[in-house]
Amino acid sequence: MTTDVAARASTRPSVRTDTRLAWTLVTGSDRRERWRLALTAFGAALATGFCLGAAALAALTGHQVSVPYGNGLLDQPGTRQGVVVALLLLLAPVAGLLGQCARVGAVHRDRRLAALRLAGAGPRQVRRIAALESGLACLAGSVLALIAFGAMLATTGYPVPLAWAGFVALALAVPAAGAGVSVFALRHVVASPLGQVRRVTADHGPGFLVGLIVPVLLVVADSALLALRGTRDIAAAPLLVGAVVVVTGAGSVWVAGASSRLMGARLAGRATGPAVLIAAHRLRQDAWAAARTHAALLLVTVVGVAFVGIREVLLDELHRSQREGHMGMDISYYTFGIDLVGGAVLVALAISLFSLAVGTAESVATRRRSLAAQAASGVPYGVLARTLLLETALPLAPAFVLATLGGTAVHLAYASAVGAAVPVVMPLLVPPAVYAACLAATATSLPLLRRSVHPSELRAG
Amino acid sequence: MSTQAREVPAGAPLLAARGLVKSYGRTEALRGAALDLYAGEILAVSGASGSGKSTLLHCLSGIVRPDAGSVSYGREQLDRLPEERLSELRRTEFGVVFQFGQLIPELPVIDNVALPLLLAGVPRAEAHVRADAWLERFGVRGQRELRPGEMSGGQVQRAALARALVTDPRIVFADEPTGALDSLGGEQVMTALAHTARETHTAVVLITHDAQVAAYADREVRLHDGAVQESPMLPQAVSHDH
Ligand SMILES: Nc1ncnc2c1ncn2[C@@H]1O[C@H](COP(=O)(O)OP(=O)(O)O)[C@@H](O)[C@H]1O
Ligand SMILES: [Mg+2]
Repeated sequence: MTTDVAARASTRPSVRTDTRLAWTLVTGSDRRERWRLALTAFGAALATGFCLGAAALAALTGHQVSVPYGNGLLDQPGTRQGVVVALLLLLAPVAGLLGQCARVGAVHRDRRLAALRLAGAGPRQVRRIAALESGLACLAGSVLALIAFGAMLATTGYPVPLAWAGFVALALAVPAAGAGVSVFALRHVVASPLGQVRRVTADHGPGFLVGLIVPVLLVVADSALLALRGTRDIAAAPLLVGAVVVVTGAGSVWVAGASSRLMGARLAGRATGPAVLIAAHRLRQDAWAAARTHAALLLVTVVGVAFVGIREVLLDELHRSQREGHMGMDISYYTFGIDLVGGAVLVALAISLFSLAVGTAESVATRRRSLAAQAASGVPYGVLARTLLLETALPLAPAFVLATLGGTAVHLAYASAVGAAVPVVMPLLVPPAVYAACLAATATSLPLLRRSVHPSELRAG
Repeated sequence: MSTQAREVPAGAPLLAARGLVKSYGRTEALRGAALDLYAGEILAVSGASGSGKSTLLHCLSGIVRPDAGSVSYGREQLDRLPEERLSELRRTEFGVVFQFGQLIPELPVIDNVALPLLLAGVPRAEAHVRADAWLERFGVRGQRELRPGEMSGGQVQRAALARALVTDPRIVFADEPTGALDSLGGEQVMTALAHTARETHTAVVLITHDAQVAAYADREVRLHDGAVQESPMLPQAVSHDH
């Protein structure tokens, strides 16, 4: 006698099935998940917008145009290229924001994907479902950006009809990249149906690699641009500046990570107050997470310090030329260009601060139950609030010092190259201002913290 | 891999594990565990906390790969199968029930139970019909639209059983399915599981450290320090001619 073990038709999973499942999961998801998707769509819209802007301007090569935006600055091929670079540089903080979004609700998502694996989804299928989830969110954002951009462009009578195909391709490429990145980010999670919950070894370091991606992208963009323009002497400058920014940016990230760990270890041993003690232990355990979060902020600080220094030098020059009558009356063409770069730096700062706020809120939300337990066992709210601020303030401090040095190196080099006086005060105001803004961004999570430490949270799932 | 008819000679075990070894860092969770599971039997695996019961269940069900040793299922050797095939087995021939956490919080119970079918590409309407039948059987059909977080622990576990059985599996792997329940809830879950397994001739590997739960089984093996001790036959055990 024989017993047949498996004589049943098994239906094969398909992309259609997975899409439907991804959709069911998205629509059934809780508020936090919807936040993640909305923020992801927002980040994708920003990325698409900047890419579209850069592409539209780059495609104008050879055209003498009159653009209604930008004070005549966009009419000249030379300055247009500067704007293109600025737009591409803005992708760095956007990448940081998207990375931060991916971490929102990560604990829940990892658990959900493991549960899917347990129910019989294969690794490829789970990856596809996860990619579809974030890819669809990115697509929504990109399409919105494309529509808004198209509407804006239509009013200007854009002269390169062929570029439209490129715009559509870009709006599709961004979500595709988003889906790809999410698959990459989930490579460990999908490995086991038990999820990552019982992991034997803690990982350290790869966060640093993520932090490096951004500066490397900058260098690539920079050298691509140089190659496009052909090598002229003056063209070597952006590469040099790029290199300094890369080195100090990556260095700051490394310093943030390494000093988090070191500071955590030292403070944990000799902390007197409970706030410092808790913050120290968290820093020591998760040093690279902090570094990853702050990568974009540190880069912005480097660029910000350098920009303010160079701006001082340039404005000095302009005003002197005007006084001596070399220049015509109107220097607004030049100052507008400088202000535009300043605006780009501020936009980058705003996006990075937003990422920091998202990251802090996420970290509070994830630890909700443990925070409620601490509060219930007598840790005052004030201590928990200070802990939260310290977790941001402590690792950022030494990294800011290095970022300041890097930015200063750039504008010192510029000032000495053009033989101008070295600006001292203004650039040094940037780091404290950004640092304060970071603390303010962290503080936006305090109301969430206050709600989280309510004893009723102890019962929440 | 479409239809795959495997034949098991009469009297041969459905699932056979030999010399299983699994370490986590310096902890040796399994040291040479061996076990046979026969078609349609309910096999209890008991042992102290930390004796390696869960690890054994994970190896037997192909969720975790052992460091050494083998698990054969029909003609296939689980420890050598690719991940995709193991996943396919989980959504067709194996069902899994844990102490908690196997249902997806985002999905209503009906979709949770239908999940293995949906993953296999069964149309949603058909999957729901089949899932409803199982929910009915375990007395939680009335809760079909609720999320797991909105149900009692006992109801969640009965829904988890429904999900494990919805694909008409050959084997259900249950790791302390009543571990988080009070005694009444535990009894309801165990009665439902034992009844259904006997009726559908489904084999069950039942991990437990509770003698009352083990009493539902046909046979019990004890795990001690990662190895299986003697297998005493329970009084009501069915005999297998081997
Ligand atoms: N993923 C893991 N990482 C580290 N140690 C583990 C892991 N899984 C199990 N262990 C260890 O292996 C041993 C057996 O665990 P387990 O199989 O869960 O036992 P039981 O289910 O009988 O309580 C325990 O000492 C446990 O700490
Ligand atoms: Mg266990």
